[in-house]
Amino acid sequence: MNTPSTTPSLDQLQRWMQAVITHPDGVAAGCGCAEACEQIEVTAPELERVLTRSQSLPAADRLAVYSHAYTARLIECLREEFPALVYTLEPELFDEFAIGYLERYPSRSYTLHHLGANFPQYLTETCPADEDPRWVALLLDLARLERLYSDVFDGPGSEGQTLMSVEHLARVAPEQLASARLVPAPDLRLIELRSPVHEYIRAVRRKQDPAPPEPAETFLAVHRRDYTVRRHALSRSQFVLLSALVSGETVGDVIGTWEESLAADASDLASSLQDWFRDWAAEGLFQRIDLPVA
Amino acid sequence: MTPPRFDLPQLGFGVGLRTPHFAHILREQPPVDWFEIISENYMDTGGRPRYILDQVAERYPIVMHGVSLSIGSTDALDFDYLRKLKALASQVNARWVSDHICWTGVAGRNAHDLLPVPFTEESLAHITARVRLVQEFLERPLVLENPSSYVEFASSTMPEWEFVTRLANDTDCGLLLDVNNVFVSAMNHDFDPAEYIREVPHNRVVQFHLAGHTDCGTHRIDTHDGPVIDPVWELYRLAHNFTGRAATLLEWDANIPTFPEVHAEVLKAKRLLAGETVPSLHAAPVSRGGAPNPIAHMIPEVA
Repeated sequence: MNTPSTTPSLDQLQRWMQAVITHPDGVAAGCGCAEACEQIEVTAPELERVLTRSQSLPAADRLAVYSHAYTARLIECLREEFPALVYTLEPELFDEFAIGYLERYPSRSYTLHHLGANFPQYLTETCPADEDPRWVALLLDLARLERLYSDVFDGPGSEGQTLMSVEHLARVAPEQLASARLVPAPDLRLIELRSPVHEYIRAVRRKQDPAPPEPAETFLAVHRRDYTVRRHALSRSQFVLLSALVSGETVGDVIGTWEESLAADASDLASSLQDWFRDWAAEGLFQRIDLPVA
Repeated sequence: MTPPRFDLPQLGFGVGLRTPHFAHILREQPPVDWFEIISENYMDTGGRPRYILDQVAERYPIVMHGVSLSIGSTDALDFDYLRKLKALASQVNARWVSDHICWTGVAGRNAHDLLPVPFTEESLAHITARVRLVQEFLERPLVLENPSSYVEFASSTMPEWEFVTRLANDTDCGLLLDVNNVFVSAMNHDFDPAEYIREVPHNRVVQFHLAGHTDCGTHRIDTHDGPVIDPVWELYRLAHNFTGRAATLLEWDANIPTFPEVHAEVLKAKRLLAGETVPSLHAAPVSRGGAPNPIAHMIPEVA
């Protein structure tokens, strides 16, 4: 700890200033917080021992420019990343969550792209036990899907690559298919939701003033094509099967498990699978099909 | 005319590459001399921003301008970050790589702001050593910018211009002289901006930054949300008299107008240096607040 009578080191100054300007209750509260006082013990009225005043502003008001900017800039970034959550919670309540989030999960990345990465987790951790579970489910689904959109938009993609086509699939000999593995496109993500929030998010983005969706199990494949994020609605059966394929299981194992778990009618199986694989290939969900080495 | 610095090209009059202008730039291929990118927005992305950048880099010179090097921080240098920075610079053939004389966080955190350093012998020695390491790693001179600031430390023992001068001379780095930042800081800290411009080492100035700012009455904030004002143009002209022609870049990060309007604003610099009188704002817009120096953030495009 440093008292104002001695000159603080560069490290003490930085740790102190960071603690003060990132404090959610502003400069005066920041000066009094334990993290700041561990470095430099100075109250807001005594700040001019550490920072000078200008002809127009006392030191505390000068420091408040950084304090205000920290909160304003990062909340603005979170609002941009989670527009449907802002719409649903309304900006004031969203900002309260955002401030709490930044306190528990301050940015540790050189890029703002990662700022919202833990926001769904934070909402899960801080959800009040007595809150309406349908409301909580809606908020968590929104946070998860809006964050997923950011990840898919910014992550690795398959643009410029040749993806597995329907024709590729048709050329696979039937006896090889059971042992084949489908390699997912690098941008493919699967998500299970408790209501169709993807349609709701789209309506919010289009400023259509939508009502929150009613609960209904929802399964999506989210991926990217031509640098734009796309959603592909799935049935539960499709989701189960696709998840198994993405996890690396062979086509034969996946179909076996699928038949078992869903008690699917074998007569429907072949035609369903053909349609699904054709749709998924057309949508560009798979990079390639790996066949067993002869 | 002063000779080229560090064998770097004199790029002319450029504009910061910003998301709202992507489509216009690719479609119209406007006659801009060069573009400056925010390095961190393109270092990790595999999506549209990088795709756009690769196309822009095929047609225009690119300069990389970082906001997270945190050269002044007491945290260890992030060599994973530096590796990515170096790789991107190679991939887009960056003519140079710049960042700020500041720190952005400590203890592993990033406040995503350009925080000021005290102008002391301790900070000077600390930052000098780090600039040398970074230059050695990047295998090129670093170009460092004077940020706008809103506080000064009681422990400072020298004016900012002296700190900048000693840092640049001791490390042999280049300078990105942001004349709007000089003006904003001068108003905030009651110093003479012309003295600052006169005293920095002119032979190290590789690039100028121009931007608009906000007058909050008791202080100015570097908001990058409007045209350049008359006193800043005057400082630019003064600086140019000392430095000779260095590359000039206009930053516009909030309330961003159309690309032709942004481009026209930087071309005022060209006309000004040619002796023309250019229409400009006499004073900065007055506002009670605003966040300084916005940092571009990409918004996902969803079908």
